[in-house]
Amino acid sequence: MAAADQLRIGVRREDGRVFFALDGELDMASAPLLQSALESAELEPDDMVVLDLAQLQFIDSTGLRGLLAAREYASERGHEFAVTPGTQQVQRLLSVTGVAEHLRTLAS
Amino acid sequence: MYNLQTGEEASAGRAEAEPNSDQGRMSPTAPAPDDVGVALLVEAGAVLATSLELTTTMEQVAGLTVPRLADICVIDLHNDDGTIMEVAVAAADPGIAAEIEAMRRRHPLDPDGEHPVARVLRSGESLLLAHMTDMLMASFAQGSEHAKFMIDHRYRSAVVAPLNARGRTLGTLSMLRLGECVPYSGSDLDLASELARRAASAIDNAHLFSEVRQVEERLAAILVNLAEAITLIDEQGRMVFANQAAADLLGVSSPTELMEAVPGTIMDRFLVLDEHGAELALEDMPSRRLFAGEHPEPLLVRNIVRATGEERWLIVRSSVVTDPDSGRVLYAVNVFENITEVKRAQLAESFMAEASRVLVSSNDYRGALEQIARLAVPQIADWCSVDLVGEDGGIERVAVHHADPDRLALAERLHRDYPPTVEDPLGAPEVIRTGQARIYTAIMPEQYAAYAQDAEHLELLNAIGATAAIIVPVAASARTIGAITFGSSGSIRRLSHADLTLAERLGRRAGTAVESARLYTERTRIANILGEALLPESLPEVAGAEIEALHQAAGELNDVGGDFYDVLAYGADRWLLVIGDVCGKGPRAAGVTALARHTLRTAAMLGQTPSGMLDTLHEALRRQPAGADLCTVCLVTYERLAAAARLTVALAGHPPPLVIGADGRRRNIGKPGTLLGVLDPVDIKEVQAELYPGETLLLYTDGLPEAGGSADPTLGERNLLEHAAEASHVSLGGLLERIAQAAVRRTDGKLRDDIALLGLRLVENGGVGES
Repeated sequence: MAAADQLRIGVRREDGRVFFALDGELDMASAPLLQSALESAELEPDDMVVLDLAQLQFIDSTGLRGLLAAREYASERGHEFAVTPGTQQVQRLLSVTGVAEHLRTLAS
Repeated sequence: MYNLQTGEEASAGRAEAEPNSDQGRMSPTAPAPDDVGVALLVEAGAVLATSLELTTTMEQVAGLTVPRLADICVIDLHNDDGTIMEVAVAAADPGIAAEIEAMRRRHPLDPDGEHPVARVLRSGESLLLAHMTDMLMASFAQGSEHAKFMIDHRYRSAVVAPLNARGRTLGTLSMLRLGECVPYSGSDLDLASELARRAASAIDNAHLFSEVRQVEERLAAILVNLAEAITLIDEQGRMVFANQAAADLLGVSSPTELMEAVPGTIMDRFLVLDEHGAELALEDMPSRRLFAGEHPEPLLVRNIVRATGEERWLIVRSSVVTDPDSGRVLYAVNVFENITEVKRAQLAESFMAEASRVLVSSNDYRGALEQIARLAVPQIADWCSVDLVGEDGGIERVAVHHADPDRLALAERLHRDYPPTVEDPLGAPEVIRTGQARIYTAIMPEQYAAYAQDAEHLELLNAIGATAAIIVPVAASARTIGAITFGSSGSIRRLSHADLTLAERLGRRAGTAVESARLYTERTRIANILGEALLPESLPEVAGAEIEALHQAAGELNDVGGDFYDVLAYGADRWLLVIGDVCGKGPRAAGVTALARHTLRTAAMLGQTPSGMLDTLHEALRRQPAGADLCTVCLVTYERLAAAARLTVALAGHPPPLVIGADGRRRNIGKPGTLLGVLDPVDIKEVQAELYPGETLLLYTDGLPEAGGSADPTLGERNLLEHAAEASHVSLGGLLERIAQAAVRRTDGKLRDDIALLGLRLVENGGVGES
């Protein structure tokens, strides 16, 4: 399975927030897609970067690293960073790893 | 004050002193009374001040009164059980003294009886019996033999004074005059009372002293018998206590020798280095820093005996003994824990992990072997060389490295001018021929002469000055394809059999690498070589429990995953169970995995708490150059108690371990904590729990709950629960197998992630202190 089949990323802008909606699975194969999506997005200085996790079916530890890399990428450039609540598996991994406490979560 | 009024004898007590007191107070043999009294008290003061040994002191006190004031002096003490014990008898006639002692043994004084000693003990007041009649003596005698004894020896006049101290009557001091004598008077009673009071005070101090001494002796007995070396240092840096273990550690025959040494001279016998090889001074020692008002952490010290080159790793812990009143630091207590074996094993492990990483990092095994030679120096040896059998069957030098550049040049010249051949009787050629490792713990210069081909050869060998060597085969399958030589020269380093074991392992791994480079795909090669470095070769025995581990790699190519587990004993009766997951796969993840394992091992040996160990690992990951190395860990300490085991669980981004009861019920233990390596600050909470016989503790990596992947995210967890129900019916190993097999089945044989399982089951009646 090609990485692009595994994960589709839709980008949309709403009120100074740039949403990256992740649909599929975020793991070792697909994590680089998230990085390139961020890099190719034309972010304004005050934009908030939001990962929309509602349609993310699966995330593993490499996917988690990709997610944290996105957070770092945003904060290095002065953007606020947030996520939306994910599916059960995603939320579970975020909370078990203690990452949830370090993420701002927007109400969906 | 008692007055004994029997009508037959004279009255007693100060108020009724004899009329001609000046003359009357004089014993027939005594000088003027005032002088006697003053002299006696001065002498008594000297006696009481010098000795704290009770019986001796009392004998000396009694002896002072004879013959100047008395013909016989007896000191009795009140035992704790209420009986009366004679402790000292002095008499002008030594025969009488012995008879009195024998008499008292045969006829102990009745504490409730009428004997003047018993009465004074009860009342605490002194008693004067100026004139004793035979009838009076018969009335308080302990039987007829006793009465006859007193009458036969013509007891005539007596004073009995209580030994009073701190409101208690400890005993009595009795003085007696015999036959035709001057009877005792009130002023004699005063003197006896004063002497008794002083003696009582001395006894009281002696009692206190002996209580303290008993505590000290008990403490000393404990310290003396401890296997750990212990020393006590005072403010001046003098050693005031050391046990035999300390003497052994510091290379002297007895604790006394240690305590008599001039401060600092013992340390001069050793090269004392910190963990990173920097030399430490006396001022860096925790005890010195305590006196300087600091609060030093336990110090890990590499200690090399200058005379022999023997190397030891010690953890030095110091704590203070302070004056309870002033709070001043009186002593520093040093505890030395010898962790040489552990540290060597750990260094060996991390060297092996690093060597393995090097071996897989490139297809160029020659380059890798060169790097290994450099890695080994100076960590393992002063020099290292690698020889392989070339295609032509000759011996080819692939790598050589020496800590000393001059000696390196000499070694290269030696190899060029005197190249080894397969027929050489010694050295690498011999090992390549036989496939057997060799160790030379002490090479003598005479041996060079026997080996040298000519004078120039000998000169080179002498200049290189090898003092020890280990040569191991580079083995692949059943063939020996080369040899690695480790040597000492130009240092006091010793090579031990432990080094030989390490070198042999390296030889095997190098052999695998060389052969794999020719035979296998790169990925399989990496997996073969690295796999060994990531997981323990065997699990240690854990008191009162059985323990099993299982690792199932994901992927067809057996790719190296980042799962790891470890079990180690630390401290006398504690074990550490670790399971973790490093993000990613391949050599990079493997490197981080090795780092995680060894960092946690070191932290445990340094006595850190579980959360402290995780903090240490977090810091180590943060220092990694590339960053974003992410790792989750579940860490459990295990301590076996009589009826249960005490667990402390610390989680860093890892699922909590499961406890499965004998009845199949299960519970999770632990509180979620932050994963390591990426987020600051990490927040780890330690949770205590107890594990009972028949219960199973299960640590697992998150590959398991996610075995179902996207189709059914909780399938893995359900799988775990289903097996928990039947846990008590199968062996521990069987349980782990079933869980893993089910996970593989449910993912149609395509595991997304590795599975690691570490199980511990408490056995019945395996507790400490049970039979």
